Amino acid sequence: MQLQINQVIPIPLKDKFSLRSSDIWNNNLTLQKGEQVKIKAPSGTGKTTLIHILYKIRMDYSGNVFYGNENTRSISGDSLAKYRQQNISIIFQDLRLFSNLTARENIELKRVMHTPFHDATIIDDMSDALGITSILDQRAGLCSYGEQQRIAIIRALMQPFDWLLMDEPFSHLDAENTKKAALMIQSECKKRNAGFLLTDLDEDDHFHYSKKLSL
Amino acid sequence: MFNSLLKKVIRTASGRIRFIMAIIGLSIALLLIFSAVQIEMNYHDLLEGKTNQDSVANFLVINKVLNSKTLGSTTLQTNEIEKIKQQKFIDDVGILTPSRYKASVQSYSEMFPFYTEISFESVPASFIDVNNKDWKWDNQSNYIPMIAPNMFLDFYNFQFSLSQNLPQLTQEVVKMIVFKVNIHTPGGMVSFNGRVVGFSDRISSLLVPEEFMEWANQHYGSSQNNQPSRVIIRTKDPGNPELVQYLKDNNLVTDADKTRFSKYRQIVNAVVSISWVTGAVMFLFALLIFTLFIQLTIASCKEEIELLITLGASPFQLQRFLMRQFFPSNLLIIIISLIAVAALQFMLYNWLQVQHMFVNPFISLYTIITAFVILLVLWIVNFTTIRKYISLRNK
Repeated sequence: MQLQINQVIPIPLKDKFSLRSSDIWNNNLTLQKGEQVKIKAPSGTGKTTLIHILYKIRMDYSGNVFYGNENTRSISGDSLAKYRQQNISIIFQDLRLFSNLTARENIELKRVMHTPFHDATIIDDMSDALGITSILDQRAGLCSYGEQQRIAIIRALMQPFDWLLMDEPFSHLDAENTKKAALMIQSECKKRNAGFLLTDLDEDDHFHYSKKLSL
Repeated sequence: MFNSLLKKVIRTASGRIRFIMAIIGLSIALLLIFSAVQIEMNYHDLLEGKTNQDSVANFLVINKVLNSKTLGSTTLQTNEIEKIKQQKFIDDVGILTPSRYKASVQSYSEMFPFYTEISFESVPASFIDVNNKDWKWDNQSNYIPMIAPNMFLDFYNFQFSLSQNLPQLTQEVVKMIVFKVNIHTPGGMVSFNGRVVGFSDRISSLLVPEEFMEWANQHYGSSQNNQPSRVIIRTKDPGNPELVQYLKDNNLVTDADKTRFSKYRQIVNAVVSISWVTGAVMFLFALLIFTLFIQLTIASCKEEIELLITLGASPFQLQRFLMRQFFPSNLLIIIISLIAVAALQFMLYNWLQVQHMFVNPFISLYTIITAFVILLVLWIVNFTTIRKYISLRNK
């Protein structure tokens, strides 16, 4: 499934971007399946807004976004859920875990929401790789941001997807854990022949990006 | 697994007291509604059941009220009879034809001297409860068959015979006696043989076959007025208040004793109505509380439901989960209420049996159908409420 962004501009940013050009806002962009896209931009230019528009949580924009040939404006309810279960996964900047569920339950919830992509044992393997085995049975609300971020990353990898949207996914991680997490993401994308779209403030070499864009 | 995680996320425990109240309210409401249906069906059984059928009670002889205003004009006009026929609570109407000649009956035997002036009536054969092969007449017949009211024989045996020092007579003996039936005509007296072929409680007059009545009225009848004064009706329920009201409205009377059930019927109707209305009102309130409970649960888990949808849970999955949380309790209430009504019905059956009244020991099909309809209503209310509030969160 390709992602297509046609002349999209968020209404709150309309005035700002009518004066200057951007790789994405007010532009036409088609992302082919398997592409690894980095979006680098300073604060306040709409990185999170873009991720939310692509994930269809925000609708306050002009222009259109297409999942394959389908305009996201016409997708809703159960068919939107199907896209979110099968085609598009996400790591939110604000993590969005259920604070009263344990770390394992947060991950498991996503795994069993549809026909599982991975066995339950993969949770232990991944947690082990990212060093959060000890907090798996702890309530997510009690975990540190760094731990929560790793839970959110593993959760996003529990489902099949064509695109993984990541909004500053390593912001709370040290270099070592970032490296491990990036390796895991790279390998999971390869399993699915999937692409990703990552936003960050700075340059990095976590992945071999096929496209680097700025807002 | 997904559902057990959802159970942790969407806490249905909030407002537990409200939920229990709704369950109690719904149980009482259903009990009342099912009882109302069951009482109605039991009453129906008592009225129409073969074992309870009282042949006397189902046939009523009707005539106009006789008072100073109606003296001499008590005949029933054709249109009045037609109107009676059209009433839905009257199954059949038969005309009682009176004899329009003077007649007397006397015995042949010296041993048993007997003479009385008499008049006859006839009714269509379908209104007669005496099945006797002798109940027919043509002008070749040797004798006229007659049906006498039991009351006549009782009057003879327990009053008249005692005062006149005459022997008491059984029904069988009376049936063997051949009487002399005299008809007084302008040209003198004509005599026939007559015999009582049966006794009945249904009509309190001496009955002869219609064929004879027609022939005799034609040959010897004096009056030109052919309109009847009395009709006999067949009805499923002589206690039907509508029938009683109809008779009253049209200045008609019948044997009041036979319509005495009317009062009981009104009481049963009132009980059933009160049960219905109370049940229906309680049902509505219970539905309202259930709806509010569902709304409250969804509202109190607003953020969790929104996050679930954001993460990709489909509205359908959430609706199905919530239906599984709320609907089984409704189903259970219906089953328990039905079992309770079934138990009450069985107790009623045993109790009434002692008094020789028979109702079905099991609950009626209509009660079960009512339960299904209520189940459907509850399902629809649950489903639409959940769908409505989930779709609000999905915006």
